[in-house]
Amino acid sequence: MLKVKNLTKIFHQGDKEIIPVNDISFNVPKGDFAVILGKSGSGKSTLLSLIGALDKPDEGSIEIDGEDITKMGDNKLISYRRDKIGFVFQNYSLIPNLTAQENVMIPMEFIGISLKARKDSSSRLLDRVGITGDTQNRKPGRLSGGEQQRVAIARAVANKPKLILADEPTGNLDSKTSKIIIDLLKELSKTEKMTIIVVTHDEQITRLADKTFRITDGKIS
Amino acid sequence: MDTLNRGIRDAFRNSIRTFGIVLILAVAIAMTLVMFMALKTVESKIESVKSSIGNYVTVSPAGIHGFEGGGELLTSSDIDSIKTMSNVKGVTSTLNDRLRNGDDTNLESAIEPGSFGNRQQERSGDSSSGNTSQNENNNPNGQPQGEFKMPVMVVGTDDLSITASLNVSELNITSGEKFDAASEEAVAMIGTKLAEKNNLSVGSTFQAYGQNVKVVGIFDGGNDFANNSVVMPIKTLQKLSAQEGQINSIIVEATSIDSVSTLETDIKSKLGNKADVVSQQDSSNQAIQPLENIKSISFYSLIGALISGSIILFLTMLMVVRERKREIGVLKAIGSSNAGIMAQFSVEALVLTITSSVVGIIIGVFMSNPVLNMLVKNAATGGEGPLGRPGQGGAGMMMRFGEGMMSGARNVLNNLSATVGWEIILYGLLAAIVIAIIGSAVPAYIIAKVRPAEAMRAE
Repeated sequence: MLKVKNLTKIFHQGDKEIIPVNDISFNVPKGDFAVILGKSGSGKSTLLSLIGALDKPDEGSIEIDGEDITKMGDNKLISYRRDKIGFVFQNYSLIPNLTAQENVMIPMEFIGISLKARKDSSSRLLDRVGITGDTQNRKPGRLSGGEQQRVAIARAVANKPKLILADEPTGNLDSKTSKIIIDLLKELSKTEKMTIIVVTHDEQITRLADKTFRITDGKIS
Repeated sequence: MDTLNRGIRDAFRNSIRTFGIVLILAVAIAMTLVMFMALKTVESKIESVKSSIGNYVTVSPAGIHGFEGGGELLTSSDIDSIKTMSNVKGVTSTLNDRLRNGDDTNLESAIEPGSFGNRQQERSGDSSSGNTSQNENNNPNGQPQGEFKMPVMVVGTDDLSITASLNVSELNITSGEKFDAASEEAVAMIGTKLAEKNNLSVGSTFQAYGQNVKVVGIFDGGNDFANNSVVMPIKTLQKLSAQEGQINSIIVEATSIDSVSTLETDIKSKLGNKADVVSQQDSSNQAIQPLENIKSISFYSLIGALISGSIILFLTMLMVVRERKREIGVLKAIGSSNAGIMAQFSVEALVLTITSSVVGIIIGVFMSNPVLNMLVKNAATGGEGPLGRPGQGGAGMMMRFGEGMMSGARNVLNNLSATVGWEIILYGLLAAIVIAIIGSAVPAYIIAKVRPAEAMRAE
């Protein structure tokens, strides 16, 4: 499903070169729940950005279903992110002045689903992640961290992507809520046949993983 | 539809921020609008002053001014040469003469000589006994002192529509009708005062140059001087007064106000020493000068207000967009296109700008009168010199006309107040919208082009 080959990203800070992703290669089969474990500054978030086409690598290739995204133009990358990727961020990244339901509806709007279908579908998705009833009409500011992350997961799966990329999805949550979120992601990977890559520093999560990669100083071990 | 919805909701997502932005933009828009209104108002005032002056050039024979001076009159060939010039809309020629009761006519002037008339008579008597250079043709003398009667002015014209040639501001026919100005018949129109004094009505005749002239119309020229005069077709007067082909004033109408100066120069060079060429341009320029000052103040203020307004609008939108750089990154991460982001922020900018424009227009309307009054006060103080000078006209009546215009210009300054036209408001709105679109679309585009990872790193 996902083939990463010789991936390198270099940042320039003045005269200094920082290489957060240094010649990384790995594969993740379809429907797997993969965990990339690494400490802060190990380059794991940068790696996820590259896979999600939020940034461009300096070298190497990223193949998703046989298509190399490093060779795509800007317009193709937009549709790649829209159709094939779902993002979950550490700080939820919901749009603050939209309700939970409206946040879930946005990605569907980008692929041209009708308003009514968006409403029905988003409501179902939120029900599934445990945001029910009136809570769906609350804005992010009136939701707890766990609730916000559930909304973010519902938003990530809204367009039925093939790949869910979660960057420290439990980083801001207590251990109880973290477990609920990880269980939710794991369940999605099984029921929806979605490939899920979670980047984290939390060793606990690796216990649920189909595959675990450890990243240190930009290299996978 | 949803982009629109999000843009509109984003504009009001934080009430304090929205209030601040609307207030800042409204003041900038109001300033621009006030300066724009000032400029438009002053421009229209200048136009109206210019058109009240008329786009005429008066050509008189060199050395002859009204009935003063001496030299040769102009001829019909001069008219023909003027007619071929560019910038000429129409040419009217007139011949003036004085009819003396007893010698030339049985008409009696309705105007008493008074001290001014007697003095003029006395002086022309002196000059004729001392030297013979003046007034030989037009001013017969030798009448005993005390019995002096005012002559009656007669004007021959070939165009009754150019009232300036008749020394009147407007020609109202009170009875009878206008004559055909191209005619050679012995017909005339006379002023109301003259008709009353001599018991003349339409159809009666009077004597001029030993011939009977029929009254076809009686007119009111709006002033005593004109109402004591006779108007004839120019050919009739030339024939009766034995001055065939002679003309002592040509009024040339320019195609536009702006071509008057050029036309004046052209005529001067064409006729050379033969003629004195005068237009109202110089005096009108003096009258318009204070208005021109206001115009340039408003113009530069408008430019200043436009530039600062644009910068304020641009920077405000830039900040609005930049403070949500991260949000743009998230939108891009979940699949938004650059165009979608630009559209969303443009809608937000438009909503803010239209709201600000409405507030700005209201502020502008209330601010425009005080601002214009202040501008006028300043310009009036600075412009006292040129305003105080008398105008320079052709004949005596022209002088009066010129002076009237001067006091008119002073009134223009005093009464100047802004009138708000829909056109002006639409201009303002349109300008603001254009700036808003540029101000929001550009920064939105710049950020949308940034890689999402970079945009999301921003905090």
